[in-house]
Amino acid sequence: MKIEDRLSVLNYKTDKSYAHITIKPDICETCPDHFCTFACPANCYTLIEGKLNFKYEDCVECGTCDLACAHGSVTWTNTKGAHGIKYKFG
Amino acid sequence: MSEFDAIVIGAGPAGASAAIRLASSKKNVLLVEKSDPPGSKNVSGGVLWGNGLSTIIPDWEKSAPVERFVDTKSVAFLTQDSKIAIDFSSRKLQQKKTGYTVLRAKLDQWLARKAKEAGAMVINGVTVEKLHMENGKVTGVEQGGDVITSDAVILCEGANPRVAIDSGLHKRLSDNDVALGVKEVFHLPENTINERFHLKSGAGFACEYVLGYLQNGVEAGGFLYTNKDSISVGIVVSMSHLRENNSTHSYDLIESFTSHPYIAPLLEGGDMQEYSAHIVQEGGIGSMPKLYGNGYMIAGDSAGFSFSNGLVLQGMNYAIDSGILAADTFIAASDGKDYSENSLKSYQDRLEASYVMKDMRTFKGIENVTWSPFVHKKIPAMLESLMLNLFMEEGKPKRHMTGMLLDAMSENDMLKTSSIMEAYRMMRRM
Ligand SMILES: Cc1cc2nc3c(=O)[nH]c(=O)nc-3n(C[C@H](O)[C@H](O)[C@H](O)COP(=O)(O)OP(=O)(O)OC[C@H]3O[C@@H](n4cnc5c(N)ncnc54)[C@H](O)[C@@H]3O)c2cc1C
Ligand code: SF4
Ligand code: SF4
Repeated sequence: MKIEDRLSVLNYKTDKSYAHITIKPDICETCPDHFCTFACPANCYTLIEGKLNFKYEDCVECGTCDLACAHGSVTWTNTKGAHGIKYKFG
Repeated sequence: MSEFDAIVIGAGPAGASAAIRLASSKKNVLLVEKSDPPGSKNVSGGVLWGNGLSTIIPDWEKSAPVERFVDTKSVAFLTQDSKIAIDFSSRKLQQKKTGYTVLRAKLDQWLARKAKEAGAMVINGVTVEKLHMENGKVTGVEQGGDVITSDAVILCEGANPRVAIDSGLHKRLSDNDVALGVKEVFHLPENTINERFHLKSGAGFACEYVLGYLQNGVEAGGFLYTNKDSISVGIVVSMSHLRENNSTHSYDLIESFTSHPYIAPLLEGGDMQEYSAHIVQEGGIGSMPKLYGNGYMIAGDSAGFSFSNGLVLQGMNYAIDSGILAADTFIAASDGKDYSENSLKSYQDRLEASYVMKDMRTFKGIENVTWSPFVHKKIPAMLESLMLNLFMEEGKPKRHMTGMLLDAMSENDMLKTSSIMEAYRMMRRM
């Protein structure tokens, strides 16, 4: 099953006004490993034509990317006000 | 005057247990949870081991949303082509139930309701942003500029304790502190599960797998647990091995587990209903923060109380027990109205006297065993050669079992002194 199909069964309450995770694109530009693209289980970090693309909307709040990025690009915060992933089973 | 006696951050098993205990002792307690409903952001394998809840909710099994009791517990090694498993079923497990499969979105919601019934004030959908400090003492929590005050705060934020980290009470996490868990839930009719796993109604199967066949040396463990009408299946991968590998997507590892020839048939026909992931605390005693200070205590995963020895994965049980002990410490401290570090340090003593800290000490260094090529590569390969020698009939004379065992070990480089020492160290740590 493709990761997109897996994510498609999930429910989110997306916070349009607040990205709980942000990156610093200039740091990613010179990144030697792009480990975030392998570590993130929700495929939020992808390389598009060699450039890092990040989308917080699919994030399942696992906590990985904050420590996965060894170059200080990721700023990780909790989602606010019941936004973000909503599991039915967990 | 504080608005609350105690504030608990996070309504997972640790926080909810602490709040239930405090409220049952007539303390004025606030339980703050970022998800709404409680539990809707939490992930667990999950078998809830032990019976810690009985101290705060007598007969909890009767009303808790548990799925099945663990009637068959297995451990299995998977190679590309084979499965070598030890299956343990016992009438004793039926009589004295010690493990229940649970789904966290249901369990945590129920626990939060129990906290409310006991008299706690429960707020959902509010994320605590930081601790409120006065003169070096924690005196409440802050969110969006608002301050709510309390005599003490119990931090139960789970495996990724942002508030504790941001307040300098916990160091930033690194590869050695955590592993990544990725999970799927497959729906199957209750009867199909009973038939497929040879279970009577209400009884369940739980198995942990060593995945000895993953490409490029990534080390991961698998788990498969039966719920009432669904199956929880997932992997836990070592963060440092994933990084060393740096070419395998974490979500592809779960796929290579669920599509393994001896796992796929167990899930066949099942409808994948949920995909989830969370980091798991794995660093053991070495990555624990200081557990108390002026006006605060830390419990559950935030305190590092979780580990796996390859045979079981535990954390919810420690979360419950440490939450209760933190609450007990608060209750004792409230006699003298002293919530200073000096007074709350008896939390550490309570933990040391309980199985929580004893287990953490017993299994010190276990992560070096669970994440070693010896366990993930050599043992599965050796067992596979041994089993093939034993059971594959090729019309050749058979040897004694010891001979076969020595052959299988030598084929897999296990007779070297270094390997023997590794096996010895492993046995000592397990
Ligand atoms: C894939 C996987 C499989 C596992 N399998 C098992 C198993 O089979 N058996 C077992 O015993 N353990 C298992 N564990 C470990 C177990 O899930 C944890 O040990 C347990 O959940 C810890 O409980 P806790 O209460 O400390 O933290 P959590 O359950 O993580 O609860 C923390 C709570 O705090 C809330 N929160 C966090 N920050 C804030 C904030 N700032 N403001 C408000 N609320 C906040 C969260 O939303 C959450 O509800 C597994 C873990 C994973 C990831
Ligand atoms: S987020 Fe970190 S790991 Fe990912 S590309 Fe940017 S710098 Fe590299
Ligand atoms: S927290 Fe987890 S799911 Fe969210 S972006 Fe980071 S790695 Fe991906």
